[in-house]
Amino acid sequence: MKHKTPLLDQLESGPWPSFVSDIKREAESRTKNAKGVDYQIPVDVCDDILGVLELTYVHKRTHWKHGGIVGVFGYGGGVIGRYCDQPEMFPGVAHFHTMRVNQPGGKYYSTEYLEKICDLWERRGSGITNMHGSTGDIILLGTHTPQLEEIFYELTHDIGQDLGGSGSNLRTPSDCLGKSRCEYACYDTQALCFDLTNEYQDYLHRPAFPYKFKFKFDGCPNCCVASIARADMSFIGTWKDDIRIDQKAVAAYVGGEIKPNAGAHSGRDWGAFDIQKEVIGLCPTGCMAWDGKKLTIDNPECTRCMHCINVMPRALKIGKETGISILVGAKAPILDGAQMGSLLIPFISAEPPYTEIKELIEKIWDYWMEEGKNRERLGELIKRKGFQKLLEATELEPVAQMVKEPRTNPYIFWKEDEVEGGFTRDIQEYRKYHLR
Amino acid sequence: MPYDPSKPLQDRITDIGPKNYEEFLPPVIKKNFGKWDYHEILEPGVLVHVAEGGDKVFTVRVGGARLMSISHIREIMEIADKHCGGFLRFTTRNNIEFMVDDQSKVEPLKKDLLSRKQPGGGFKFPIGGTGAGITNIVHTQGWLHCHTPATDASGVVKAVMDDLFDEFTSMRMPAHVRISLACCLNMCGAVHCSDIAILGYHRKPPMIDAEVIDKVCEIPLAIAACPTAAIKPAKIKKPDGTEAQAVAVNNDRCMFCGNCYTMCPAMPLADAEGDGIVIMVGGKVSNRISAPKFSKVVVAFLPNNVPRWPETTDCIRKIVEVYAGDARKYERLGEWAERIGWEKFFEKTGLEFTHHLIDDFRDPAYYTWRQTSQFKFTG
Amino acid sequence: METAEAQKVIIEGLEKKKGKSKFYLKDFYAMLPDWKPREVNKLVNNMVQQEMLEYWSSGSTTLYGIKGAGKQGAAEEGEE
Ligand code: HEM
Ligand code: HEM
Ligand code: HEM
Ligand code: HEM
Ligand code: SF4
Ligand code: SF4
Ligand code: SF4
Ligand code: SF4
Repeated sequence: MKHKTPLLDQLESGPWPSFVSDIKREAESRTKNAKGVDYQIPVDVCDDILGVLELTYVHKRTHWKHGGIVGVFGYGGGVIGRYCDQPEMFPGVAHFHTMRVNQPGGKYYSTEYLEKICDLWERRGSGITNMHGSTGDIILLGTHTPQLEEIFYELTHDIGQDLGGSGSNLRTPSDCLGKSRCEYACYDTQALCFDLTNEYQDYLHRPAFPYKFKFKFDGCPNCCVASIARADMSFIGTWKDDIRIDQKAVAAYVGGEIKPNAGAHSGRDWGAFDIQKEVIGLCPTGCMAWDGKKLTIDNPECTRCMHCINVMPRALKIGKETGISILVGAKAPILDGAQMGSLLIPFISAEPPYTEIKELIEKIWDYWMEEGKNRERLGELIKRKGFQKLLEATELEPVAQMVKEPRTNPYIFWKEDEVEGGFTRDIQEYRKYHLR
Repeated sequence: MPYDPSKPLQDRITDIGPKNYEEFLPPVIKKNFGKWDYHEILEPGVLVHVAEGGDKVFTVRVGGARLMSISHIREIMEIADKHCGGFLRFTTRNNIEFMVDDQSKVEPLKKDLLSRKQPGGGFKFPIGGTGAGITNIVHTQGWLHCHTPATDASGVVKAVMDDLFDEFTSMRMPAHVRISLACCLNMCGAVHCSDIAILGYHRKPPMIDAEVIDKVCEIPLAIAACPTAAIKPAKIKKPDGTEAQAVAVNNDRCMFCGNCYTMCPAMPLADAEGDGIVIMVGGKVSNRISAPKFSKVVVAFLPNNVPRWPETTDCIRKIVEVYAGDARKYERLGEWAERIGWEKFFEKTGLEFTHHLIDDFRDPAYYTWRQTSQFKFTG
Repeated sequence: METAEAQKVIIEGLEKKKGKSKFYLKDFYAMLPDWKPREVNKLVNNMVQQEMLEYWSSGSTTLYGIKGAGKQGAAEEGEE
C-alpha cells in the first residue's frame, strides 16, 4: 500500500464486511491491472482514498471541499463536486466528484448490466461506489473533472442509462419492490415510479423549483422505503373494501400449524401464539373479534395499519379495491423542525396512464413555484400558508380524513364572499339604533 | 463513435431516464408479478415467497457495506451467475438479495456466501437482516466524501455492526429495530424516524479565514446560506494589517449546520473536540399499530473516538439490551418508551437526563414539555 | 416580451449586482414580473443550454450565474 493506515487497519477485524479491506482490494486490483485496463484517472486513486481517510482519522476533520460548478453540460444535478484539501499529498483524489446514476425500480439488476457499469467505472473512475445512496441512486464515487462528460456520453450511448437528480430538482424517485415480490403491494410501485420518472425527466435534470422535491412509492402502509418521512409527495398503497379472511388458515395459526408473523419473531420463545392478545388486543381500532372459531373484522372501522396482516399473512389479505393514499410535505428538521407527510388524498386509483395523479402533481408544483420562498420545502410552504391554501391550489374538496381533529381555536379567517351580505356595511344605518 | 471533447454536443443523448426494471426481473419474479400469495422467513436471512400458482422464490439476504468496490460487485455478480441465473437485487437498507427458484439451491448458495471471507476475518456476505432483528444501517457519506460531516459514516457503521452482529443474524428482538446514521444535521439519510439514529453534530461555529475570505467568497452568498441568519457583513483586519470586507458570525445563533462552508470555503467549522455524535431513539416510519414517529434525542454528545467509537457502540448496545429485555412482543422501541414513559426510559437504560435534552428550538418545543400532572417517579 | 429581450434583461440584471454572482430562480421572477414562473424557468434553463449562464449546485440547491463569473468559478477553474 502507498500510505500507512494504522487507524483504518483496525477496521479490518470483526465479522461485519470491512470497507477498508474492500478499498484495499480495489487498490491492489488497480496496481496489478491484470486485464490491462487503460485507466483514465490515476491508478493509485484508491490508495489515496485510504490515505486521505487515514489523515482524517488523525485530524478528526474532513479533508474535502465542495465544488458546485462541475456537472455535465445542461444538467443542473446528478454530479456532486468534491476537491481534496491536500491535493499534493493525495493527487489521485485531488478531484473526487460523485455521479448519481438513476437506479432501476425495486433495485433489481442483471449481472450483464452491472458488468457494463463496473467496466465504465473501472476505466474512468475510482472503482468505488455506493450501492446505493440514501436517496436511491447508484453512486459512482470519485472521478476527475474531464471524465464527467466522457462518462455521461458512455452511460447514455453505450448503456442506455441516465443520471439521477440533485440540487433544486426533482430528486431521483424511488420505490419499494412492490408487486414484483410482495403480497402486500396494493399497487404497482415500480410501474408508477418508472412512469413518473420518465414523464418528468426535464424536472429531474434541470432546476425548476425553490428547493429539492421527492417522490417515494410504498406499496402498503408498512412503508419499507419510508415515504411518509422522506418525500414531498408520498404514495402509499391502501385499499377500500374488506380484508380477505381465510378462516381455515386463521384456525391453522391458532392451532400452531403455521408460524405467526411469517417467522419474523422466531428467534426467541415468546410462548404459544395467542390470537386474542397478539392480534385482537393489539388492533389499534378494536375492530376485530375472535369467538374461538371465527375471526370477524368490522371493516369500516379498520384503519389499515397492517398489523393483523403482518402477523397472519396466510390468513389475511389486503382488499381487492386497491389504490393509493397521497401524503404531502415530509421534510427533514432544517429549519423549523421536521415534518411527516400530511394526508391530502385519502384514495386515488393507481391505473395507468395516471392522469389524475399527474394533474395533482402539476397543480402542486405550480403553487410551490409561485409561492415558495428560496429553499422552502413544500411542507414548509404548506405550514406557512396553511392547509386550506393548498386545497385551493389543488382544487380539492375538504374531507374529515385530512385532519386528525378539527381546529382548537375559532380564529377562522372568513372570506367576504362566505359571509351573508359581505363586509361592506352602512355605519349610518347602524347609528340609527346604536348611539355613539 | 466515442465522445469528442471538441464537440461536446454532437449526438448528445439526454433525458432517457433509468433502465426499465422489467429487464432485470428474474424469470420466476417476472412470471408471478402481482400474483404472490404469502411469504415466510425460513430462518434469519432466508425468505420464501409463494405465488398463487405454487411457484416459489427463495431469497437469501446478506449484509453489505454500502461503500462497495467494483471488485466486490464483480464477486456478487459471480455468485449471481453461479446460483441465480444472473440476477440479484439490493434492498433499501444496503442489503443484497440472492434469489433462487428451488429450495435445493438454497443450501449451496448459503454455503458459498458464508465461505467468502475478507483477509481480516470478516464475512463478505453475512446472512441475516430479516424480521424482528437488527438489519443493516442506512447511512450517508461521512469523512469519505462529504465536506460538512461531523463524524465518519462507514467507520461508525462498521464498529456498530460488528458489535451488533449477533442481532443481524438472529430475530430475538420484540420488533424490527432500524438504525440509521447521518453525519451532519443536514441529514441526508433517513435518521429522524429511526428506532436508533446516530447523528454527527458540530459544536463550534465556523472560523473565518480573514486572509482569503474576500478573495474566495462572495459575502452575500455566505450570508444568505445561513438558516438562522447568524452571519452579517463586517470589516475585518487581515494579518497584514489591512482591512477587508468579510463577515462576522453571531455565535449564539449558530446551529453548526455548515451551510456557510458549502458556499464559502473560508468558513470551515470541523473540529476534533467540537465534533461528535448525537444519539436519537424511538422513531418509526411504519403505520403498524401506532402512527409514524420522530426519533428523540437521548444522548446530546459522544466524542469521535476513532477508529471504533466505543462510547457510541456501548450506548447503542445498552439501549438495545434494555429494550429487548423489557418491551412487549411487537412493541417498537418508541412504542415501548411511550408506554413506560420517557422518564422510565432514562431510569432503565441508565442514560443521564441533561438540560440539553429539553427542547428549546422554536415552536415544536412546547409540545414536548409535560402539560399534565401525570408522571412516574424514578429512583 | 420577446425571448431575446428577456435574455438581455436577465444578463443586464445579473451584471448590475456587485459582489454576488449566483442567483436563485426566484430572483429571475422579479426581473420578469409579467412572466409565469414556468416560463422564466424554461428561459433560464435555455440560457444555460446556450452557454450564457451556468449552474452552481450546493448539492441541495441549484443557483444560476453568468458563465465563468464569480469567485467560486475562479477557484474551481484554478484547480483544473
Ligand atoms: C442546506 C442543506 C444541505 C446541503 C448543503 C446538502 C448538501 C449535500 C451534499 C453536498 C451531498 C453530497 C454528499 C456527498 O456525496 O459527498 C448531499 C447528499 C444528500 N443529501 Fe443533502 N444537503 C442539504 C440538506 C439536505 C436535507 C435537508 C436532506 C434531506 C432531508 C438531504 C438529503 C440528502 C441525501 C439523501 C443525500 C445523498 C446522501 C447519500 O446517500 O450519501 N440533504 N447533500
Ligand atoms: C411482515 C410484514 C412485512 C413484509 C412482508 C415486508 C416486506 C419487505 C420487503 C419485501 C422488503 C424489501 C423492500 C425493498 O427493498 O424495496 C422490506 C424491506 C423493509 N421493510 Fe418491510 N415488510 C414487512 C413489514 C415491515 C414493517 C412492519 C416495517 C417497519 C416497521 C418494515 C420496514 C422495512 C424496512 C425498513 C425495510 C428495508 C430493510 C432492508 O433493506 O434491510 N417492514 N420489507
Ligand atoms: C379560543 C377560544 C376561546 C375563547 C374565545 C375563550 C373565551 C373565554 C372567555 C371570554 C372567558 C371568560 C368568561 C368570563 O369569565 O366571562 C373564558 C374563560 C375560561 N376558558 Fe376559555 N376561551 C377559549 C378557549 C378555551 C379553551 C380551549 C379552554 C380550555 C381548554 C378554555 C378554558 C377556559 C376556562 C377554564 C375559563 C375560566 C372559566 C371560569 O373562570 O369560570 N377556554 N374563556
Ligand atoms: C437529529 C436527528 C435527525 C437526523 C440525523 C435526521 C436525518 C435525516 C435524514 C438523513 C433525512 C434524509 C432522508 C432522505 O431523504 O434520504 C431525513 C429526512 C427527514 N427527517 Fe430527519 N433526522 C433527524 C431528526 C428528525 C426529526 C426530529 C424529525 C421530525 C421531527 C425528522 C423528520 C424528517 C423528515 C420528515 C424527513 C423527510 C425528509 C426530506 O426528504 O426532506 N428528522 N432525516
Ligand atoms: S411497503 Fe408494503 S408493499 Fe412495499 S415492500 Fe414493504 S411491505 Fe411490501
Ligand atoms: S389492519 Fe390494523 S386496524 Fe385493520 S383490522 Fe388489522 S389490526 Fe385492525
Ligand atoms: S449528512 Fe451532511 S455531512 Fe453527511 S453526507 Fe449528507 S450533507 Fe454530507
Ligand atoms: S454553521 Fe450554519 S448556522 Fe452556523 S453560521 Fe454557518 S450557516 Fe449559520
